[in-house]
Amino acid sequence: MSQAPEDRAGAPPGSIPSGIIKSSLDFAGGLFLLALAGLGFIGGFNLPVGHLSGIGSGLLPKAVATLVAAFGLVLLVQSLVAGGDRLERFAIRGPIFVLGAVLVFAMTIRPLGLAIAGPLAVLISALADKETRPIEIVIYATLITAACIGLFKILLRLPIPVFPPGYGPF
Amino acid sequence: MADLFNNLALGLGVALSFKNLGLCFIGCLIGTLVGVLPGVGPIATITILLPITFGIDPIGALIMLAGIYYGAQYGGSTTAILVNIPGEATSVVTTLDGHQMAKQGRAGVALGIAAIGSFIAGCVATIIIAALAKPLTAMALLFGPADYFSLMVLGLMFAVVLARGSVLKAMAVILVGILLSTVGTDLESGEERLTFGWTEISDGLDVAVIAMGMFGFAEILRNLESKQTRDVVHAAIGKLLPGRKDFAQSAGPIARGTMLGSLLGLLPGNGAVLGPFASYTLEKKLAKDPSRFGKGAIEGVAGPESANNAGAQTAFIPLLTLGIPPNAVMALMVGAMTIHGIIPGPQIMTKQPQLFWGMIASMWIGNLMLLIINLPLIGLWVRLLKVPYRLLFPSIVLLCCIGIYSINNSPIEVVMTAGFGLFGYALVKFGFEPAPLLLGFVLGKLMEEKLRQALVISRGSFTTFVDCQLWAGACTRPLSTGLLALSLVLILIAILPSIRTSREQVFKEAD
Repeated sequence: MSQAPEDRAGAPPGSIPSGIIKSSLDFAGGLFLLALAGLGFIGGFNLPVGHLSGIGSGLLPKAVATLVAAFGLVLLVQSLVAGGDRLERFAIRGPIFVLGAVLVFAMTIRPLGLAIAGPLAVLISALADKETRPIEIVIYATLITAACIGLFKILLRLPIPVFPPGYGPF
Repeated sequence: MADLFNNLALGLGVALSFKNLGLCFIGCLIGTLVGVLPGVGPIATITILLPITFGIDPIGALIMLAGIYYGAQYGGSTTAILVNIPGEATSVVTTLDGHQMAKQGRAGVALGIAAIGSFIAGCVATIIIAALAKPLTAMALLFGPADYFSLMVLGLMFAVVLARGSVLKAMAVILVGILLSTVGTDLESGEERLTFGWTEISDGLDVAVIAMGMFGFAEILRNLESKQTRDVVHAAIGKLLPGRKDFAQSAGPIARGTMLGSLLGLLPGNGAVLGPFASYTLEKKLAKDPSRFGKGAIEGVAGPESANNAGAQTAFIPLLTLGIPPNAVMALMVGAMTIHGIIPGPQIMTKQPQLFWGMIASMWIGNLMLLIINLPLIGLWVRLLKVPYRLLFPSIVLLCCIGIYSINNSPIEVVMTAGFGLFGYALVKFGFEPAPLLLGFVLGKLMEEKLRQALVISRGSFTTFVDCQLWAGACTRPLSTGLLALSLVLILIAILPSIRTSREQVFKEAD
């Protein structure tokens, strides 16, 4: 399920003082659960619940989604009544470059092969860290990709494409 | 008894073949190699290395996977001792005295006693598994669908009680796991559930995709955010073999740790995680001078490490005999075994005795190999640990990408894994622990199946789960009723505030 709920920003990170919301962590957690339960409800809306001697395909998704929603509500209430931790700020740089690298790998592995997709993934993900040194990482990306081709393609013979189709020795 | 030895002999015959020995060796070696990397726990290690086992016959693949698992476990202990970063929850305790020993120039001895203790624990646990396998499998055949369902409920309740942090959040996260398990085509009606018309997930979500996203990528995101200064020991590693005094001090803790770990590992719902904590507390209580603990007491490494390994191994028992994974790592093992066409459960032992006993014998051999591999290679692990994180994490990203792509040669699954990376990161940010989700995901499928079967058999009556009229002295469903009653007790324990605080203390002691 790639749709991590959009309303993650529902609770501004770490910025809520001791107003109505006593624990922004639990408040956000509650919203998160409600969003997931909502997805479950929407996705299972048309499925039959059936009856006890013949449970339909919709019973479990709907029942579990109800429970998740209930837990979400309890968390929300708890965050207003009891104290608790604050929500930490979400990092932006890390997720963008690390997950971006993974997406680029997914898009390039078939058309371009590991020889190109590999260094791309290494280089893009390396941007997530401020300490990355340009020359070092370029050399390193080449070496680690070569090692991976040696291990996965030559030694283990996994059917992973190494070069663009029609080019290269294998 | 003779039966036991016959079976073990059969297993040894399989495991000692040249090919299987080699696979066991390679599994242990690369398992340790990847497990040593900081921030890569056993779950991520197994997922990354899963494609390596493709193209091997099921027995060999299973032996290799088991080797990878032990290697990853031991790798976690190595990082705990050398860098003060526990690879996973079960080696948290090892950081306390293990890292202190390392600072005092006794890293070699700490790693040595950890390996020796683990080996002894592994030997004992192997025999326990072999001895319990038959009776438990026989018992499993008495289990009806209702009993299975109730047993899994109990397992999940254990997981709730043993999860760190809020009970509420642990329960919620398990439910989310169960919700995710319903994604895909319903096996009975053929209807698509929660797919939102997306055909790529009509076969359901892959446990490896979820595991890699939540334990591989999300872990990297968290590590990047809170950069721990890695405190790789600069002191000399020192000699590896513990001296006579060390052995004398460790013998008791190893024996007690092994027993504790083996017993707790049998519990459904990640009992294994308790072993090291329990062992550490016990040794501290028994010690003549408890103040030595936390300052490099060898007992504080020997006991918990033995308990850790014993528990890691006996955790296989519920999986192999009942087909129910007790924790997240074993849940992933279910996925790995299914890829190789093996359905874990009581029928393995009767239908594929070679596979079953071969794997058990390989556990013992794997432990011996860990001992042989690790002692001479410690120097290599130290050097690996000194590789800066700015180079490590891009390589982990690449390894994860190649691993997940190779499982089904599917770029879409790589994309989904990235999605679960974001999901896992958000989950942790909101204060949820990710491991129970994986357990809920794998058990969810099984539970729905058993629930439906049980209700069809009972024609829709819930008395199939609970049917005990104590006042009449009649109990038609003692197993299921008992298991559900126990689950209820567990949940009450978890919710009652007084016990909750003491539960937090158990974990605090290690922090």
